[in-house]
Amino acid sequence: MTPAKSVPLLTVGLVLLMASSTATADVVAVVSSRSTITMLTTNQLADIFLGRTNRFPNGEPAVPIDQAEGSVARDRFYGRVAGKSAAQMKAYWSKIIFTGRGQPPRAVANSEEAKETLVQNLNAVGYIEQNLVDASVRVLLTP
Amino acid sequence: MCARLRHAGLVGRLCAALNSRGDIALTNEKHLGSGVRRRIRVRHSLIAAVLVTTMSNSVATGSEDSGTSMLSFSGFGTLGVVHSSEDQADFTSSIFSPNGAGHTRSWSADVDSVVGAQIIANVTPRLSAMLQVISEQNYDGTYTPHVEWANIKYQFTSDLSVRIGRTVLPSFLYSDTRKIGYANPWVRPPVEAYSLVPIGTSDGVDASYDLHFGEFLSTLVVAYGHETSGTPAGSNNEARRLLVIADTIEHGPATVHVAYQQTYLTVNALGALFDAFRQFGPQGAALADQYGVNNRLIRFMGIGAMYNPGRWFVMGEWGVTNYESVLGKNSAWYASSGYRLGQFTPYLTFGGVRSDDSTSSPGLTVAALPPNLAQAAIGLNGALNSILSSSPDQKTISEGVRWDFVKNVDLKLQCNHIQLGAGSPGTLINLQPGFKPGSIVNLFSAAIDFVF
Repeated sequence: MTPAKSVPLLTVGLVLLMASSTATADVVAVVSSRSTITMLTTNQLADIFLGRTNRFPNGEPAVPIDQAEGSVARDRFYGRVAGKSAAQMKAYWSKIIFTGRGQPPRAVANSEEAKETLVQNLNAVGYIEQNLVDASVRVLLTP
Repeated sequence: MCARLRHAGLVGRLCAALNSRGDIALTNEKHLGSGVRRRIRVRHSLIAAVLVTTMSNSVATGSEDSGTSMLSFSGFGTLGVVHSSEDQADFTSSIFSPNGAGHTRSWSADVDSVVGAQIIANVTPRLSAMLQVISEQNYDGTYTPHVEWANIKYQFTSDLSVRIGRTVLPSFLYSDTRKIGYANPWVRPPVEAYSLVPIGTSDGVDASYDLHFGEFLSTLVVAYGHETSGTPAGSNNEARRLLVIADTIEHGPATVHVAYQQTYLTVNALGALFDAFRQFGPQGAALADQYGVNNRLIRFMGIGAMYNPGRWFVMGEWGVTNYESVLGKNSAWYASSGYRLGQFTPYLTFGGVRSDDSTSSPGLTVAALPPNLAQAAIGLNGALNSILSSSPDQKTISEGVRWDFVKNVDLKLQCNHIQLGAGSPGTLINLQPGFKPGSIVNLFSAAIDFVF
C-alpha cells in the first residue's frame, strides 16, 4: 500500500471509530426499577450530583453514585448534565472539599457496579451506558 | 486600604521612636501583644486536642460504617513566580505579606506559592472535624505552617449545620478558596477586591442553612468570632465581635452572592500615634476620635454574580469597606470572563479599587503651639497625612490562560497591566524613594496548581 492511499483509509477508519464510540458511550441517568422516582429534570439531576441537595424532589433521600475518575461514562455524564469537563469538576469539588462543605459522591468502578449499587440501595441514583440498561434499572433521562 | 494599613504600621513604629525620646507617653504595646499571643496559643492547643480526640475516635469506629470514608486526606498547592516591571515597590497578593515582586525580587516565588494539607474525620454521619494546615509566606517572611481551618461540624438536619472553631470568611465568591489555585480560574483572585477585607479567618462559630425553593438553592451563612493577625510591621491587628452574614443563591449555572460583615478593629501599630494626638488638648482628642483605629466599628458589604454553563463563564463582584477612621473608605470591583477550548481556558479580567473619602487632613493647628510642641505636631500631622495619602487607587486589565495539561494539575500564565491612580501607590508596598505614584506597572505571572 502506498502512503498516498493509506491516509484516506486511516481517515475513514478514524471517523468510523469516533462515530461508533459516540454511539456506544451515550449515558443515561438511572435508578433501581423498584425506586419511587420516575423522572428528574437535568437541573435536578445536576443539583444532586453537584452536592447542592441530598434529596429527590419528592423529599426522598438521594444518594448519587459516580463512576471512576477518567471513565468515559463519567466525563460524558458531567459534560452533558453540568457542561463541565473532568478538570472543571475537579476544580468544583476542590472548592467544596477545601472549605469543609462536603465530599464528592462515592464512585464505583463501572456501569455494572453502578447497577449493583442501585439495586441494593433504592435511594441511589447513577448513570450507565445506554446499551447496559436492563430490567433492574429505570431510565430517568438521557441527558 | 491595604497600602494604608501597611503604611499605618510603619508610621506607628516611627511614632513609637518619637515617643521614646520622652516627649509623649507611650502605651505598653509589648505586654498587650504577648498576652494576646499566649491566649491564642492556649486556644490553638485546645482546638488541636479536641480535633485529635475526635479523629482518633473516628479511626476506632471506622470499620462499622461502610457508607462514607471515615478519614479523608487531601492537599493542594501552587508554585508560582511573578515578575514586575516596577523595581521601586513590591506587588503582593495578600495584605499580610512582607514583600513580593518588584523591589525585593525581580522574580518572586513568594507572591502566589502555597502548599496545604487537610484531613477531615467523619465521626458519625452528623459529626465531623476538619483540620487544614498551610504553608505560605507569612507576615514575618517565614514559611512556618499555620492552621487555616480547624473546626468541628455538627449537621443538625440535612439543611442546617453548625461549626465551632476556625473558618475562613466567605466575604467574596472566592474568598474562602482564594489560596486553592486549582479551584480558581485565575492565578490569584483580583487583588483590588480581594484586599478590601483585612480579615481572613474567624475563630468562633458559624451556622449554615440551606433553603430550597423550586430549583433555587439559597445557602445562608452566619458567623461570629474574632481574629488576631500579625502584620509585617511587627505589631498585630485585632478584630473583635466579628459578624458575617452571607447568602449564596444558586440556580443551575447562575450564582449570586451577597455578604455583610462588621467587626471592631484595633490596629495596635497605630495606638502610639493617636495617643500622641491626645496629648494636644481637645483638638488632638477630636482628631484621635475621628481617625484612630482602636476598637473601631468597620463594615464591609459585597455583592457578586457568576454565570458558568461550563463552556464559558462571566462574573463580577463589587464591595465596599468603610473603616470610619484614618484607613478610609474604599470600594473595589472586577469583571471577568473566560472561554474553554479543550484543555485551554483563556480569560480576561478588569478590576479597580478607589478611595471614597478624603486623602488628606489639616491635622493639628500648629501656629497656636509653642515651638517645642509645634515641632512634634508637625511630625504627627505628617504621619497622619502620609497614611491618608497612601489610599489605594488603581485599575487593572489582565489576560491569562489556564491549561489543564494533566489530571489534577494546571498551568496558568497571566499578564496584569496596572494603572496606578494619580498620587496613589495602589496596592503596592515597600515603596522606595525612587517610586513614582500614578505610573503603569506590568506583571507577568506563571503558576502551576495542583490538588490531590
